[in-house]
Amino acid sequence: MIEFKQHTLANGLRVLANHDDCSGMAAVNILYAVGSADESPTRTGFAHLSEHLMFRGTEAVPSYDTPVQEVCGENNAFTSADYTDFYVTMPKENFETDLWLEADRMRGLNIDADTLEVEKSVVIEEFRQRYLNRPYGEQWHTLRDMVYTTSPYRWPVIGLTPDHIREASLEEVKSFYDRFYVPSGAILSVSANIEPERVFEAAERYFGHLPALPTPVRGNVEQSPLAAPVRKVIESAVPADQITIGFLMEGRKERGYYLCDLLTDLLAGGESARLFQHLVKQKQIFSATNAYITGEVGNGMLILTGQLCSGVTIEQAEEALYEELRLLAEEPIGDYELQKVKNKFEANITFGELNVMNKAMNLGYYAMLGDMALLNGEVEIYRSISAEEIASYVRTKLTPERSATLIYRKTK
Amino acid sequence: MRVPHTTLHTCANGTRLYTMHNSKQGVIRVSFIFRAGTSWQSVPFSASATINTLSEGTERFSALEIAERLDFVGSYFDANIDRDWAVLTYCSLSKFATETFEIAEQVVLHPTFPEKEIEVYCAKRKEQLIVQRSKPDHLSRELFGKSLFGAEHPYGITSPAEAYDSLCRGDVEEFYRTHYTAENCFAVLCGDITDEHIARTMAILEQLPHGTTLERTIPAPAPQHFATLNVEGAVQSCLKIGTPLFPRTHPDFIPMQMVATAMGGYFGSRLMQNLRERHGYTYGAYSAMINLDQSGYFVMSADVASDYTEAAIEEMIHEVERFCSKPMDERELQMVKNIIFGDVMRIFDGPFGVADVTIENIQNGTDNGYTERLLHQVATAQASHLQEVASKWLIPSNLTTTIVG
Repeated sequence: MIEFKQHTLANGLRVLANHDDCSGMAAVNILYAVGSADESPTRTGFAHLSEHLMFRGTEAVPSYDTPVQEVCGENNAFTSADYTDFYVTMPKENFETDLWLEADRMRGLNIDADTLEVEKSVVIEEFRQRYLNRPYGEQWHTLRDMVYTTSPYRWPVIGLTPDHIREASLEEVKSFYDRFYVPSGAILSVSANIEPERVFEAAERYFGHLPALPTPVRGNVEQSPLAAPVRKVIESAVPADQITIGFLMEGRKERGYYLCDLLTDLLAGGESARLFQHLVKQKQIFSATNAYITGEVGNGMLILTGQLCSGVTIEQAEEALYEELRLLAEEPIGDYELQKVKNKFEANITFGELNVMNKAMNLGYYAMLGDMALLNGEVEIYRSISAEEIASYVRTKLTPERSATLIYRKTK
Repeated sequence: MRVPHTTLHTCANGTRLYTMHNSKQGVIRVSFIFRAGTSWQSVPFSASATINTLSEGTERFSALEIAERLDFVGSYFDANIDRDWAVLTYCSLSKFATETFEIAEQVVLHPTFPEKEIEVYCAKRKEQLIVQRSKPDHLSRELFGKSLFGAEHPYGITSPAEAYDSLCRGDVEEFYRTHYTAENCFAVLCGDITDEHIARTMAILEQLPHGTTLERTIPAPAPQHFATLNVEGAVQSCLKIGTPLFPRTHPDFIPMQMVATAMGGYFGSRLMQNLRERHGYTYGAYSAMINLDQSGYFVMSADVASDYTEAAIEEMIHEVERFCSKPMDERELQMVKNIIFGDVMRIFDGPFGVADVTIENIQNGTDNGYTERLLHQVATAQASHLQEVASKWLIPSNLTTTIVG
């Protein structure tokens, strides 16, 4: 249970505060409502590039990191399809340092041609390190392209190609930043042993003078289901054959999201889960296997995947995965197994609230979703799911007709 | 800054338990630490196979029952192994401590290592290792270890994946019998704990059988200056440059840890500034002092665009020379100190981090007083001393460089 208070500044900045009396640290999180889904298809990777540029300094503060590190702080950031998140932990006495820095870089970023050039090559190296220089590296580019035809979820956060980054002009980059890095598109959240009123007062002091600017209009992320199954085979020098099946699923606030989350946990949440027990241990079809959801705010994907043991054919592996879905569809899950996954959610929530960082991040995330009741209310939703509801979902939604299948075949 | 201290309980058989009540959040963590890392094994993969198959079947429960019981109460379990140590950890909601201790007791004391489970384990791990060894970063770690210590050295050796074919139940059982003993174990319990949790943990430890106190001599490292491995189709080179040094107990370890922090321990560090911010050769460059039971090493590391391999190596060596030729200014020194203070404070945020600190201190033959002394030594360190220490240990012509890509 995360208790919080919230407050909105006149310029639209939303502020949330959790009073934690266990920790000597303060966590400050600032979330911007901009992600790769807000990019143009010919200029992808910009949200992520902007995240990088946020560390490149302003007129007033040439390096964001230096003052943070001087007050024993540690910071980082990530970009997703739906939002960009910056977070810091530091001794609670120093928390205002970060408010000052965040307010400064919200409007004052100082990007010139030289800093942009260097940051572009850093991002291109990241592209290479994560997506090109490793086996199966291009799988997300390929699978997203198969599942999403109109939605901007079609490209991964890193972008469609390093060329989009390489060709990005200073004007384009600046205009992207100007549009999205505004008070009304941001959410500040703090978890620390500090009274919420003090947080709000400090937020007024550091952010209050920033101008009220138009709230950024978000991209349309909706995607209609595939009309027919799609399939692709990549022959490549990978260490083992691999099969990945993706299904388009419901958005983050729909009931289908919770069903998918729970059912991927039945399949792959922990050692006792079905895929590991049946397909890795008993039948030895996969050396590793997983089931999970990608978790976008709009229509995300439910993924089933595995790396094949040598000697097993792609057909056998694919059949084995569908056999697990058939089991879920035809034999309703017993009370014990359903209780198990529900208990796991509850325990994970407790473990997830042990440090201030997770709490500050959660506050920001649920505020972005636009439904603070979900912050502490999701356990109830999971509890309300019945075995029949899961079976019916699998029967109607997780069928071969609705699937996108990506196969890697190892070249001899 | 105050470092939390633990309470020591000594069991009848001599095994030590360190405890600390430090949470109101309804969670506990217990770790069992055995001197049973990979450098202790004579049969390839037997040390990791032992800790990883402890939960694959016990006198009372099958592998599936163990997994089911832990998952049902939402407890999680982690088996971790490095060159020197094997650590089994359970985290649980306090209200499910009884269920969790019941499993821990079976796993630590009564594993049966079923033949069939060992077979499946070996087949699976072999496949996974082959996958790992297609990744440049994994290959880079292996090549660097080998080049730093020697291909047959306990801290450098790697074994072919085929060694899993001949690993059998007997090897695992033998490793368990000789290494999972009272003499070779200690435990750490923390979180929202009660006297009952302490008694329960001691009851497990007291049943550990006596064994012999294990001795060994780790040979001196035999570093190679340069090694390279070509990976077909690689678009980056994984670079590592370093040198074998000494364990944490050495008086120069903390100064060298500060040197490593200045070189590549934080975002504004020298390697990051040079290779990433100034040249854009890499997404990230790092440096660290690594502690081993009877050795240790300094390492710098970066994955760089293939075209800039030579240039990046030159810059990394240049940064070493620069560090050794001139003391850092006050501002940088203060920064390095703050980075280390911040890291220590962050570990103590949340109820479980103190266990990790305690484990490392006990492993090194000290206690949490060491962490206090570390903070004091860091706080009072002088730039000239760090320069002196770096010049003594980081001699460019002696460094080992490996390139994978």
